[in-house]
Amino acid sequence: MRSSPAAVQTERTFPRFSLGQRWEHALIIVTFAALLLTGLPQKYRQTSWSHFILATPERVELVRTIHHTAAVVFLLEALYHVGRGLVLMSRRRLSSAIFPTGQDVRDAGRMIRYLLFLSPRPPSYGKYSFEQKFTYWFLFFGFGILIASGLMLWFPTVFTRFMPGGLIPAAKLAHSSEAIVSAVFVVLWHFYHVHLERLNLSIFTGRLNERDMRRHHALEFERLTGEPASDETPGDGE
Amino acid sequence: MIHFRTRLLMASAGVALSAVLFPALVHADRAYDPPPRPPVQTEAYCLGCHGEPGLSLTLPSGEVLPLTLSEDVLRASVHSPLGIECRACHTQITTYPHPTVDYATRRELARSLYLVCDKCHSDNYDKTLDSMHARAAAAGNLEAPICTDCHGAHDVHPPDQPRAHISEICGRCHTEIYASYAESVHGSALLQDDNPDVPVCTDCHGVHDIGDPRTAQFRVATPELCAGCHSDPELMGRYGLSADVYSLYSLSWHGVDVSVYRANWPTIWHESAVCTDCHGIHDIRRTDDPQSRVNPVNLLSTCQQCHPDAGPYWTGAWTGHNRVSLERTPFVYYTQAFYSQLTPVVLALSAIYVVLQIVRASVERIRKALR
Repeated sequence: MRSSPAAVQTERTFPRFSLGQRWEHALIIVTFAALLLTGLPQKYRQTSWSHFILATPERVELVRTIHHTAAVVFLLEALYHVGRGLVLMSRRRLSSAIFPTGQDVRDAGRMIRYLLFLSPRPPSYGKYSFEQKFTYWFLFFGFGILIASGLMLWFPTVFTRFMPGGLIPAAKLAHSSEAIVSAVFVVLWHFYHVHLERLNLSIFTGRLNERDMRRHHALEFERLTGEPASDETPGDGE
Repeated sequence: MIHFRTRLLMASAGVALSAVLFPALVHADRAYDPPPRPPVQTEAYCLGCHGEPGLSLTLPSGEVLPLTLSEDVLRASVHSPLGIECRACHTQITTYPHPTVDYATRRELARSLYLVCDKCHSDNYDKTLDSMHARAAAAGNLEAPICTDCHGAHDVHPPDQPRAHISEICGRCHTEIYASYAESVHGSALLQDDNPDVPVCTDCHGVHDIGDPRTAQFRVATPELCAGCHSDPELMGRYGLSADVYSLYSLSWHGVDVSVYRANWPTIWHESAVCTDCHGIHDIRRTDDPQSRVNPVNLLSTCQQCHPDAGPYWTGAWTGHNRVSLERTPFVYYTQAFYSQLTPVVLALSAIYVVLQIVRASVERIRKALR
């Protein structure tokens, strides 16, 4: 395809996630996976595969210790995430683009119309599409429930000094239900959007290429470059 | 020479006189009839002497061994009417004079003579060999019960008539446990009303092969033991009790833990609560009895046996073997209502949305390819 050596194209990329944010995501992946892997055999304690994994009382202790250790890391990460976000946003050093707006509702309506063939084009998004915001906030509250209920299960006597005891069995139910909901959501929704729809590695590399910026974050692209996003690049049609 | 007829007359008179004076001898006479039943008919013959009052023997230990036996007692036992008489058990005595008694103590004698029960009751006899009582005897405790201690020797009766008799027998040695059992919901119903539904000692502990109830195995098997009655809807219905207690316990933290230990590690001691830890063992009372360990006034201190840090709100965490309901467990009720909606909705909407995206993207690609 190259017409001449002089026409070598350098791909423009755009910063999307800071190094700290990428580390946070990596930490969440590792701890969430560890929590799931050590939590599921405890939730489904009466199944044969759970008996296989938790084959000795020592193994049960080990799995619980891993779960608790991962939970502490997860909790610290969550506190750091919220604290950092609040501090940076208050100093206007972090965009508040992640917060949902009325535009997201309209975008969702337009997207559904597009998916139902009622509209020829999907909506254009800013830094975060409504899908991405939904992923973030769904897991944000899910993780919040998991952390709160998990702490209650870990220290039930402490919590029932000032809270009704009836919350403990509710926390047990919420912890295991929310874990399943979060896991299903991550696999179905999040994995589809970042692996199948398109391979989006920006959370690991920190940057997004021009094509994906134009296609999936057109408004952000226009805001950053001042160029119109709809200007079809030569390689775009594949 | 006395005339033959005179001799016959005298003999007849003698027999008649004997019948008046020595009824035992007349009975002994019957022993010469062709036996209507196969067992050895020695009872009347032996009673000829042993029916006499005051017969006894002093053993080397100084103990007096009474040798007099009431015919009424013997006749009322289960064995005698069946034709199972003295020699069936006293196998070493075949004649008079008897061989000398060479037992030092009455206990030694009893522990030797009871072995004969094995002759007919070998099933139950064999079971006793594995029992806690046999182990106590093997460890040197000669007071550990043998067949005759519970069933009697000459006065053997069906042990369950009335049923309360079974527990009373155990109570002869296990006095403290019997006293607390007698006060319990089970014991009082048995002793006062002869209630056929409540357990007597042997219903839980077994009959002849009574095991050690202090082992890890017995402990983890306790819930199923109680469930034998307490998961029977018909039986529980008679007393207005829930038959779901076991199935709900099985889903609880304690219950899951215990079932895992029972399935995998029954010999490893585990502290997760079983029925008796909270309700008591022999002293189980109605839950509305203020003396019950699980009565609301005592529940916290019962929990604190294992959860010493538990505070006053703690007992609210206990769902009390009840199904989830808005009235009793509102937090669990609303949590369950929330997740029973959220889980399928998230699953379905995510799946539908992703499928729509795949369809739309595929159509878009095909269009571009055709363009």
